[in-house]
Amino acid sequence: MIVFLIRRSVQSLIVLLVMSFVIYGLIGLMPGDPVDLMISADPDITSQDAARLRTLYGLDQPLWSRYVHWFGSALSGDFGYSRLYAQPVWDAIIPALSNTLILLISSLALALAIALPAGVFAATRPYSLSDYGINLAAFAGISMPPFWLGILLILLFSVVLGWLPAGGTAAASGSEGFWNHVKFLILPIASLTIAGIGGHTRYMRASMIETLRQDYIRTARAKGLSEPRVVLRHALRNAMIPVVTVIALDLGVLFSGALITETVFAYPGMGKLIYDAIMGNDYNLALVTLLLATALTLIGNLLADVAYAALDPRISYTKDAG
Amino acid sequence: MNGTFTPALPAKTGTRWVLRRFAQHRLALVSAAIIICLAASAVAAPLIEAALGIDADAVDLFNRYGPPSAAHPLGTDELGRDVLIRLLYGGQVSLFVGLTATIAGALIGTCIGLMSGYIGGRTDAVIMRITDGVIALPVLPLLIVLAAIDLNKLGLPEGIVGSENASLYRIVAIVALVGWTTVARLVRATTLALKARPFVEAARAQGAGPIRIMARHILPNLASPIIVATTLAVGNVILLESVLSFLGLGIQPPIPSWGNLLTGAQETIWQAPGLAFYPGMLIFVTVVAFNFVGDGLQDALDPRARNRQSERV
Amino acid sequence: MTRTLRRCLKMAALCTLGLMLSASPALAKDLVIGITQYPSTFHPNIDSMLAKSYVHGLTRRPITVTDADWTLQCMLCTSLPSLENGGPVLEKTPDGKDGIAVTYTLHPDAVWGDGVPVSVDDVIFTWEVGKHPQSGVASAEGYRRILDIDRIDDKTFTLHVDRRTFDYNDISSLNLLPAHIERDKFKDPTTYRTQTAFDTAPTTPGLYMGPYVMTKAETGSFMVFEKNPRWWGKAPAFDKITVRVIENTATLEANLLSGSIDMIAGELGLNVDQALAFEQRHGDRFHVQFNPGLIYEHIDLMLDNPILADRRVRQALMYALDRKVISERLFGGKQPVADTGVNPLDWVYADDVPRYPRDLKKAADLLDAAGWTRRGKDVRTNAAGAPLRFTLMTTAGNRTRELVQQVLQSQWKAAGIDVRINNEPARVFFGETVTKRKFEAMAMFAWISAPESVPRTTLHSDEIPTEANNWSGQNYTGYKNPDLDKILETIELELDRSKRKEMWRALQHIYATELPALPLYFRANAFIMPPWLAGIRPTGHQYPTTLWVEDWTVKK
Repeated sequence: MIVFLIRRSVQSLIVLLVMSFVIYGLIGLMPGDPVDLMISADPDITSQDAARLRTLYGLDQPLWSRYVHWFGSALSGDFGYSRLYAQPVWDAIIPALSNTLILLISSLALALAIALPAGVFAATRPYSLSDYGINLAAFAGISMPPFWLGILLILLFSVVLGWLPAGGTAAASGSEGFWNHVKFLILPIASLTIAGIGGHTRYMRASMIETLRQDYIRTARAKGLSEPRVVLRHALRNAMIPVVTVIALDLGVLFSGALITETVFAYPGMGKLIYDAIMGNDYNLALVTLLLATALTLIGNLLADVAYAALDPRISYTKDAG
Repeated sequence: MNGTFTPALPAKTGTRWVLRRFAQHRLALVSAAIIICLAASAVAAPLIEAALGIDADAVDLFNRYGPPSAAHPLGTDELGRDVLIRLLYGGQVSLFVGLTATIAGALIGTCIGLMSGYIGGRTDAVIMRITDGVIALPVLPLLIVLAAIDLNKLGLPEGIVGSENASLYRIVAIVALVGWTTVARLVRATTLALKARPFVEAARAQGAGPIRIMARHILPNLASPIIVATTLAVGNVILLESVLSFLGLGIQPPIPSWGNLLTGAQETIWQAPGLAFYPGMLIFVTVVAFNFVGDGLQDALDPRARNRQSERV
Repeated sequence: MTRTLRRCLKMAALCTLGLMLSASPALAKDLVIGITQYPSTFHPNIDSMLAKSYVHGLTRRPITVTDADWTLQCMLCTSLPSLENGGPVLEKTPDGKDGIAVTYTLHPDAVWGDGVPVSVDDVIFTWEVGKHPQSGVASAEGYRRILDIDRIDDKTFTLHVDRRTFDYNDISSLNLLPAHIERDKFKDPTTYRTQTAFDTAPTTPGLYMGPYVMTKAETGSFMVFEKNPRWWGKAPAFDKITVRVIENTATLEANLLSGSIDMIAGELGLNVDQALAFEQRHGDRFHVQFNPGLIYEHIDLMLDNPILADRRVRQALMYALDRKVISERLFGGKQPVADTGVNPLDWVYADDVPRYPRDLKKAADLLDAAGWTRRGKDVRTNAAGAPLRFTLMTTAGNRTRELVQQVLQSQWKAAGIDVRINNEPARVFFGETVTKRKFEAMAMFAWISAPESVPRTTLHSDEIPTEANNWSGQNYTGYKNPDLDKILETIELELDRSKRKEMWRALQHIYATELPALPLYFRANAFIMPPWLAGIRPTGHQYPTTLWVEDWTVKK
């Protein structure tokens, strides 16, 4: 197990290294440079100024040499300076990261708290009316365009009912305090949760149905155990394996996927930061944030493997079972 | 869990059986009917346009945000164009993008997955690492890069490059380029399992080449998981297109798509809520419907579900 | 660490949530403003950005400024020097050219937020930073033109400038830096732009000398401003002003309606069409004020395109359009039709320029004469049978431009001109297509201008971007006209107002006749304010309303 972990970690590091180069190349391939964007905002910049700025920002150097330079500094812990936010990149990332983590962790927790029981419930009564109902609700959540959902929520709860703020953070309204923070988080979390519940419910349901077909469940039933006991005691643990795997695999996607919700609710988080960095041609910030997202995906993969190995004792022979 | 089942029988034998099973899934049946209706009316958009005597592109600045009337059943939009016809044309575009992008992705994924699974060994390892890389690849910069590539340099005919449809082809290409990974993994897993099955061994023993085995013996058995995965993906692509539109990277006006109709309407959501409601609702209903059809197909094609059914009966 | 703790608590709360609190009403002495952009730096001279000038209006004062009546005024100086009152001295530069020496006195009471007087040291330091090639200042032309600065006393200085331009006494863009804070950071000029206190410690009071100082800033989200206790001028009405950044305009509107913000700034707020719709629905609750501005929306034509090289085609394109209808129906008449890049509000505007009201007959005649004939309702073709077809490009996702674009397309269609729309993200459009002149026919975008600003960079033949000059210059159409070049070179140096007005007239005539670009309209700003707020005077130019924040009052 430890050997496996070490090997996978080393592999992931290598992938990350390669990705840093690929991403730098991708950003370099994108048209225009930061100076072009500055000119489009300020007609007073002369051609002389533009040339001077390009030299100053090192944009007159070829891409590979900029990458080598960045990489050298990164090794010594200096990941560069964000031109867009006029801060060292980590100073820009850390507040956004913590904002996003609050959003993601709470919405994931909430979604799972609803989705897992619902999935199990549906799985125990396949093709019943309640199963159909749960399926319908699950698909409904997945199928809403996320920005539409956000706007509808704002429309209802902020404008019509006036219960909740229409976006931003508690700090922005100048009102600190616990409940104020919660108040500002309810709508964005609700919107991410609604979008997330469906997928998890579906996975849980499918996995539970699959598990309930297994021989050992039949045996348990034959022994005369009560149905709730069979489901909760015997089936749940095995049924959770694929669900946990999927959650781990989704980590990276979640991270950048909050972009829409963050935009609609004017919430300063990672998704927005990544998007702005790319659109604003902020090389250093874009590179580091994208690498962070990639790293999270890789960690998710690793976690999925570990979870799989840890939870499923049959891991060694499932390959031949199909 | 798409990947956990493998079809036990060659696909051909049970078509009628499958249809009957599918028909038992009420929601899937209703969904299929909805999709067919939507697709039919989208295809018939030019006919409806002619029947109503409206020009979809005709701008009428003196009739902005018109209420529903006999001439315009759903009213007019911010430029005085007929909302119903725009929605129908938008449906054409959204469904086209959803279908072509997923089918293209499925084709790429099938080829790659088949190769990886059948050849195995080092090839398999390399392909799977590349697949992991693509999954980890950030879609957004890729999209911008693609939007910036000079298509003329790629040797594409002028008719495609200069046309207003360029943004449409770009979306299809990008979705296909990042979307093949699911199918590839699915196909690889199934191929690995099938490769060891007696009927493949038998074919090999009779001296069939790898291409022939893949085409004749393995591919037919892959049909059901691919169909299911593809159906489920169509909805996601339609949704993705709307998100891209929100970011200004989707299908570009004047071509209507449900995504850009919805995005355009959000700025006037307070003034003309209908403009946002209709495309939002259509996306919602279509995506739900595709999901149910996929779900229904999965149940109908899953042999174990079938066994269970007979067991019950 | 405490912050992390607090955030953990926040998370814990979510698991037990179930209570909904209603939004608390804003305190009467505070003001919350919504804008759509966050400044990328707080340094006044590194790059120029609307959001930054907006918030600096609250915290800083320029030496001179153009006011809401479009006349130059002193803000930080005591009196405006002018040739009429004998202040400036005409002189020769060391290399024998015509130069000028202008003397200013800073306000005797002016102090930075930490009590240090604003002095000539700051002026000289600002100049040193501005002209240093590695300081990172984007637009350095103004600093390079200053040959020397004489220090008369702590508050009085004389600038020696290397040319006599008509705006010799306008030093609005010389944004003072506090030498007592920044000089240390400038010891190594190469690292100055990352070390400046404006970005490392933007809430330092000593960086500001306006009625407010910034007390809090959260990147991408909001900024808080509180009264500057050292402010020497008229006291402002609000104790605290919060500026919140909300990019999505639908959310911005929702915030206003739900009371989270009090007003939406006109400089960085809703589009005119959105604001019109807003006024229709909520005109009773909010006061909506439209103010025409200097942002010039137009379509640059690629003059290397053989079809567009023909002036008759360009004029026909104009006659085929009904810009008046667009202005009236789409923008409620708030965004006036443009004749050239010169705004009718500018004193140099010539009211006798050639105009192009919709005239399909004239358009047809011009196109026929240019060899583009039409059969029935088809697209026009030339003798070789090639269709009259153009691609119109603009920034994707800009809603207003997309709407206008589709109207233009439909109007041109009626004249037998086939226009295809092909938009790109702003990043690509400005980063490549426009700046490297890669658009095939038409590129629609806007120029931000200032009163009496000479369009040299956009019209002079030396400013055509080419591979050889490393794509510098902004004459994207590729327009070349020796007569116009001459005007552009001399107009800036003409000090006589009536002669200058004549030159401006000639410039506008050439532009409107030759049409290197198709003028569309001037953008307007929409200010959405609560009925209890008074005293905001939109300027229409680049200097924001916040520079006069001390005049904003609460109505009884």
